[in-house]
This record gives sequence, structure tokens and C-alpha cells, in this order.
Amino acid sequence: MPQIIISVGREFGSGGRVIAEALAERFQIPVYDRHLITEIAEKTGLSHEEVERYNEVPKSRLASRRVRGFSNSIEDNIAEMQFEIMDKKAASGESFVIVGRCSETKLKKYTGLISIFVLGDMSAKIKRVMEIYNLSENEAKALIEKKDRRRKSYHDYHVNSRWGEARFYDITINSSRLGIDRTVDILEEYIKARINNK
Amino acid sequence: MAAVFAVIIFVIMFIMIVIDKIERQYVTLGCGLLTIIVVFGLCMKSMSAIWDTLSFKSFATTEFWYQVTESESKGINWATIIFIAGMMIMVEGMAKAGFFRWLCLRIAYLVKCKTVPIFITFVIMSAVLSMFIDSITVIMFLAAVTIELANVLKFNPVPMILSEIFCANLGGSATMCGDPPNIIIGTSLGFSFFDFLSNTGIAAGISLVLCIIYFYLVFRKDLVSKDKNEKADISKLPKPSDAIKSKKNFIISSVIFGIAVALLVTHSLTHLTVATIGLFIAIITLITAGKSALELIKRIDYKTILFFIGLFIVVSGLEETGILVFIADFIGNISNGNAMIMIIIIIWVSAVASAFVDNIPFAATMVPVIQSLSASTGVSINTLAWSLSLGTDIGGSATPIGASANVVGTSIAAKNGHPIGWGKYCAKLAPATVIVLIISTVYIFARYL
Repeated sequence: MPQIIISVGREFGSGGRVIAEALAERFQIPVYDRHLITEIAEKTGLSHEEVERYNEVPKSRLASRRVRGFSNSIEDNIAEMQFEIMDKKAASGESFVIVGRCSETKLKKYTGLISIFVLGDMSAKIKRVMEIYNLSENEAKALIEKKDRRRKSYHDYHVNSRWGEARFYDITINSSRLGIDRTVDILEEYIKARINNK
Repeated sequence: MAAVFAVIIFVIMFIMIVIDKIERQYVTLGCGLLTIIVVFGLCMKSMSAIWDTLSFKSFATTEFWYQVTESESKGINWATIIFIAGMMIMVEGMAKAGFFRWLCLRIAYLVKCKTVPIFITFVIMSAVLSMFIDSITVIMFLAAVTIELANVLKFNPVPMILSEIFCANLGGSATMCGDPPNIIIGTSLGFSFFDFLSNTGIAAGISLVLCIIYFYLVFRKDLVSKDKNEKADISKLPKPSDAIKSKKNFIISSVIFGIAVALLVTHSLTHLTVATIGLFIAIITLITAGKSALELIKRIDYKTILFFIGLFIVVSGLEETGILVFIADFIGNISNGNAMIMIIIIIWVSAVASAFVDNIPFAATMVPVIQSLSASTGVSINTLAWSLSLGTDIGGSATPIGASANVVGTSIAAKNGHPIGWGKYCAKLAPATVIVLIISTVYIFARYL
């Protein structure tokens, strides 16, 4: 099999991470999400919690500054370390699934990249988040909005493409229409077609 | 109307620099272009204002290259730009030869790799190097070597990096070429390297001694090995000679650095301007670099050069439309002509502003303000210039975003597993900043009033 890098961007509560894990299992390749946090924690000696705290969150524009590629923002530095690790893995020829982290743009130079964005209906996302996190409807809605706002801000700061906008991904799919399992089936078909098309 | 547009463009530029969505050189160049078209072209309809601002004719004047009497410049400060570009080329050459890494390791070995002596020598080295070369380069190498040493000698590198950052900014305030605001102040008002050294340099020297004591007292517990039972294995440290990539290039770059220091120290005697020195240093670096010359040219930080050009145009917009005279009159009125209050305002307002926004645009804006203030109140321009220099240079140390060295140092620390947030940074360096600002204020009062 040629190298494939499946980038999965996702709205919070859309099941994007579960879909990414399922795709990784079907293609028998690793999925990098939390693993990147562990890798950075090991590399830098920071605690897992510390890295998690700054993971995929936007920096405060007013409290940070960038000079010749250096940034005082811890969020920026963690993000850059993740981009570097991602890039090294891709450059090594490894196939993998990567969740979020601007990967659809950062890894664009690799021909094996297949970029997916998973979205969902608000009602379905609220239901899912209520179940998983044991929250009320209002709390779930507020959490979804907060997480998505942060992801968009993080994404749009680090790359020039816009988070969740169809033209920047190979395929965008609403997981609420067919449910997670059937969404995975369709995406698997699409990825196979892309592999066979090479 | 021109004044209103000049202010709007300036404010937009400042906000966009802070927001950091568009690279800052595009922001200043875009705003500079707007100033030329809207302020000078459409509102003032003044071709002479455009030519004065672009200041191309300054290249053709003898004073630009050889200056016997002090003279002031207007518009784009090409002397600053040529000097910075020249020094960038020299520093690239030195870095390529392994000079800075060699120096850091050599000093560490000289003090037998003992933590407290390393701490003291490294902060002094940070201050001394920053007197001649940009603090970004100084911190880039010092912080990296500090982390390497900390890993082997088992101490926490954060206190040392924070002290190095602070002393780099402090060292920068001591000379004309140490910090961009000083280059702008010096070239705009016709000061020499020695003028700075004998005025701000003395304040910086006194402050450095007190700061080393302060940092030692604050950080002494962090400077001992984290685990007393764990013995540091010095043999794991790289040798200074390993840092030298080419002995020939190393010797050449050391000699060029020596020439640059000698020319800067003596430029009030030789009458060579910083523009001439910058150009000369760049030319000899490129000639001696041979085939690597192109690589050195490519590594110049063009973004900073372009940032400066755009910035000077925007500030000229404020200057030509009289806005800066208005600010100067305002300071003159609230201080009621009292020099002491003026000095306090200039030092402390500059410091607070520089702690949060880039001190380069601030200094560039304030130079015409103090010129006008001096003319209207009779307070010596020198006194106001040293106040501005100390305020902008020192104030930048208070927060992680106040100066370039802070950003670079904290970034290197974070990438190596030592994140330094605002809390950790300000808890130690904001009090140090206040101490040095008090010393500076007292110094200016005692010496010039």
C-alpha cells in the first residue's frame, strides 16, 4: 500500500475522533491524537497535563508576541512541536491517521494526504455530548460552541486555510445523516478509491 | 485632515502589530504606503514631504557617512537600517563559524562548570555581548547552551535564562548599538557610541551589579542541583572546540567582531557614522566569506529591515502633520515646564508602554516628541534622550512580550520542556525592572538636574 495520511478535522461532538480511530483500524495504521501529547511530554519532560492544557487551544493575541519565528506563547510552542512531529512522521513515509492540528494544510505537500472534515447537526452533537460527558442540554451546547470556537481560532491562526470550510478539504461529511458507522463505511470506500486511483 | 489620517493609520498599524495576524513588516509597509498616498499625497499634496520622508538624498550627503558635527535626521532613518543590516551580516558570519557557542562553552569550562559562577559569568556575558550585537542572537545562543548545561549539571535553567534575558536588555541600554531604540535615538539626534556609554552606560553598569545581587538572592535555591545525590557528569558536556565549525572562519569572524567593536567605540574620534561602520563590516564579512557570502546575504532578517522602513514612514506622517508637537506640548503642559516631572513621565510612560508594545515604534515616535519638548521648554535634549533610552530599553524587560530577547528566551525554554508563563516571568523580572527604573530615575536626577 502506498503511503496514506488520513487527516480528520472535526466539529466537537460530531464523532470525528471515533471515526478517525475506526478508519485507522480498518486500514491497519496508527492514529495520532493524544499520542502526540504523550510524545511531546516525553520529549520535553513536561507533564501530560501541562501539554494537554495547551493542546489545540488558541493563544491570547494580546499576551503573546512572535519574533523571528520564536513565540513566547506556550500554546504556540506546543503547536509547533506537534507540527514538527507530524511532519517528521509524514516525511518518514509512515502511513497514519491524524486528528485535527491543522494537518489538512500542514501536510498538504505529501501526495498521500487525504483530508476529511466531519461535521454534525447541532441537535445530534448536543445529544452525543450530553451522553458522553453527562451534561445538561444547555451545558452541552455551551461546551460544543466553546470547543469549536477554540478549534477554529487555533486553526485559522496557524494556517491560511479556514477551519471546516469545504474547499480546503478533500471531503466533508455530516455524520448525523447516516450515523457514525455508515459514515466510516463511506469514508473507507472513498479512501480506497483514492488509493486505487494512484 | 492630514493629521487625523496620520493618527488613524498609526493606530491601525499598532493594533495590527499587536494582533499579529499579518506579518509586521507587511503591516508597517502597507501603513507606510497609505501614509504616502493619503496623508502626504491626497491631504497635504506635498511632494516635498514625500521626498523628505523617503530621505534618499541623505545617501548623497557627506554627513551620512562622515560626521564631524552632530546632526539630526528626518524621515526614513537609513543610517539605522544600514547599520542593522551590516551587523546582521557580521553576526550571521560569527554564528556560522560557531563563535557564540564556543564562547559560552569556553566560559563554562573556565569556571569549572560550577553552577553559581556559570550563572554570574553568563549574565555578565549576556549584558556585555548585547552592548554590541542584537539581543536576539545573544539570547538564542546563551539560552540554548544554558539548557544544555542544565541538563548535564542538573539545575533548573529557567532562573538563569530569565536573568540572561534581563541582562541582555540591560546591556543593550548601555550603548548606541545595543538596542534598536538606542540606534534610532542616536542616529536621529546625532549621538555617538561613547555618548551612550558615558551616560546610559553608567546607569546600566550600576544596575547590572545590583541586578546580579538581586537575581542571586531570588534564585539561589534554584541554582543548586535538583537532586543532591545525583552527581553531574561533566564529561557529557560538549567541548568548546567542538563548537568551532571552521578554525579559519572562526578566527576571521572574531577579528571582524573586534574591528566592529573598535570602530564603534572610536567613532566619535574617527567621525565615521554608524552607517559607514555597518556597511564596512558587512563588506569585509562578505569578502572574507568567499563562497558563503550569498548564504549570509540570504540569512539577513529582511523582515526586520522592511519593518523599520515602513515604521519610519508612518512616524514621519505623524511628524509632518504636527501631531507629535501636540503630544510634546501636552507633556510640557502637564509637567508645567518642570524638568523633573518631564523626566519621570518620559522614563515611566516609556517603560510601561515598552512592557506591552514593541519598543521600536514607540521610540521612533517619541524621538520627534522629545525634540519638540526640548525646543519648547529648554530642557536639554540629552537629558530627555537618556530618559527615553533607559525607559524604553529597561521597560521592555517587565513582561514576556516587552522585548525580542524575552520572546526568544521564553520560546527556547518552552521548546525544551520549561514553559515560562506570564506569572512566572513577571514575578521575578517585573520587580527587577522597577528597581532598575528607580535607579535610572535617581541617576538622571542626580546627574543632569
